[in-house]
Amino acid sequence: MDIFLQLTFSGIALGMIYAVIAFGYQLTFATSGTLNFGQGEALMLGALVGLSLAGNVMGGPYINYWLMIPLVMLFGALHGVVVERIGVQPSVKTKNEFGWIMSTIALAIIFKNVAENIWGKDDITFPSPVSTAPFEIFGARVQIMQVIVVVGALAIMLAVEMFNRKSIYGKAVVATANDSDAAGLMGINTAQVVTFSYALSSATAAFAGVLVAPLTLTGSTMGTALGLKAFAVAIIGGLTSGVGAIVGGLILGIAETLTGYYISTGYKEVPGLLLLLLVLAIKPSGLFGKTTIKKV
Amino acid sequence: MLTINGLYAGYGKVEVLHGISLEVPKGKVVTLIGSNGAGKTTTMRAICGMIKPKSGDVQLNGKNVAGLDSHRIARAGLAHSPEGRRVFSTMSVRDNLTLGAFPRFTGARPKGDIKADLEKSLELFPRLKERQDQLAGTLSGGEQQMLAMARALMMNPDVILLDEPSMGLAPILVEEVFRIILRLKAEGITMLLVEQFAAAALNVADYGYVMENGRISLHGAADKLKNDPAVNEAYLGGANKH
Ligand SMILES: Nc1ncnc2c1ncn2[C@@H]1O[C@H](COP(=O)(O)OP(=O)(O)O)[C@@H](O)[C@H]1O
Ligand SMILES: [Mg+2]
Repeated sequence: MDIFLQLTFSGIALGMIYAVIAFGYQLTFATSGTLNFGQGEALMLGALVGLSLAGNVMGGPYINYWLMIPLVMLFGALHGVVVERIGVQPSVKTKNEFGWIMSTIALAIIFKNVAENIWGKDDITFPSPVSTAPFEIFGARVQIMQVIVVVGALAIMLAVEMFNRKSIYGKAVVATANDSDAAGLMGINTAQVVTFSYALSSATAAFAGVLVAPLTLTGSTMGTALGLKAFAVAIIGGLTSGVGAIVGGLILGIAETLTGYYISTGYKEVPGLLLLLLVLAIKPSGLFGKTTIKKV
Repeated sequence: MLTINGLYAGYGKVEVLHGISLEVPKGKVVTLIGSNGAGKTTTMRAICGMIKPKSGDVQLNGKNVAGLDSHRIARAGLAHSPEGRRVFSTMSVRDNLTLGAFPRFTGARPKGDIKADLEKSLELFPRLKERQDQLAGTLSGGEQQMLAMARALMMNPDVILLDEPSMGLAPILVEEVFRIILRLKAEGITMLLVEQFAAAALNVADYGYVMENGRISLHGAADKLKNDPAVNEAYLGGANKH
């Protein structure tokens, strides 16, 4: 029982990371119908830049973990702008429906190569900002960092949601997601909104990177699998639903840790991916995906 | 206020507008009538930047805005209640109205009192007031039409384009829409009105243009057009009703 609970807690922490990355996919999909297939690499770059600032590599640490977070998110935002300008804008402008898929994958590979050259091919330990001594809940051992991951993930998603609901710029983002042409008629620069959502999307991924890094190993290869599994989460939960991202993330995360322990680590990804296939076959818009209602 | 000169536009390689010229003077209501497919909506789209004109001038306040992105034309003072209403369906009525004032929030247009204007537009459209917290997507077609009009007004525009505001409405709502148009006219709002109810449109308008196959075939003072036998035959159903 204790071990089951402990695995569940680990699954929740992992699942919330998936949820944040999936949320990032949703942000750009909503405004532009496109997404960055290099979202995992945005996470990886965030973690490695964070490591360089707050870890004991490259002559550091230069600042502490908590002060590093806003800087890494700023870096993530700039990275998102680059991805949108180079990878997405050209194919949207030329009305090339699928160009952005190849361009964002190509950029992801380039970013991975760059990271390999700067930080090397080996995984590096990311120093934990809090005590790594676990505490007990109902007999299960939980790390403080796992709690921080869950709280941080929820906080960033809530912050974006509040921005969208309360501020006029957030409302402009939601309007663009609703009807880009009509948003233009309101004087909203929808091209700028799309660039902004890429910046926000990469910033959240970079944030997820520095959250997860102390719990795993950090390195140029850490993002690819995370990004792919979070994509599965986005499809399972629905590309339009924040709640879907969280539920999908938790399902995948928990299924993964439980399977890894009770069946075999070699099969830990299978249940989640089977679920993905099931959802695609039965409800392609995702568990929480909305089919839009149009009045004539 | 708004002067269109030799406007050519279309979709892809298909040219729909073959040189449209028309004028909407300050404080006047001008109507554009014509049968289905004549190019009225396309004219409005080319004016507001939803589609880019191939050539021609769109002078707004003496500035040529032809070819600019729609958000720039909006910020220059042009509001548009488009065909199909295009309300933001996952957002509340209130948020839709707030977004109409977007350029005022960002300083691209004079701010004024946005709150007061929002309350005023809810007074002007009592149906919206009752439903201000409802999601726009849950409104009836008529209510969405009113929301699209109210949203366009929230910009405090110099000119407003209304594309068939009575489309698909129950007769009682059609009357309400025309009453509101008359009230806006009394307030001195400059309007370009596209309508299927040509007779009613000519009744509220100062001036009218008749469009056929992407060209202006006839234009003149609204009461002159109303009594023109050709217009009467083609668009007013033969009898001069209303
Ligand atoms: N989005 C579009 N793509 C291609 N052709 C269009 C589009 N919208 C309208 N048209 C064509 O342009 C012509 C004029 O249409 P429109 O401007 O909607 O006329 P109206 O508003 O006067 O009924 C029609 O022949 C119509 O088929
Ligand atoms: Mg039309």
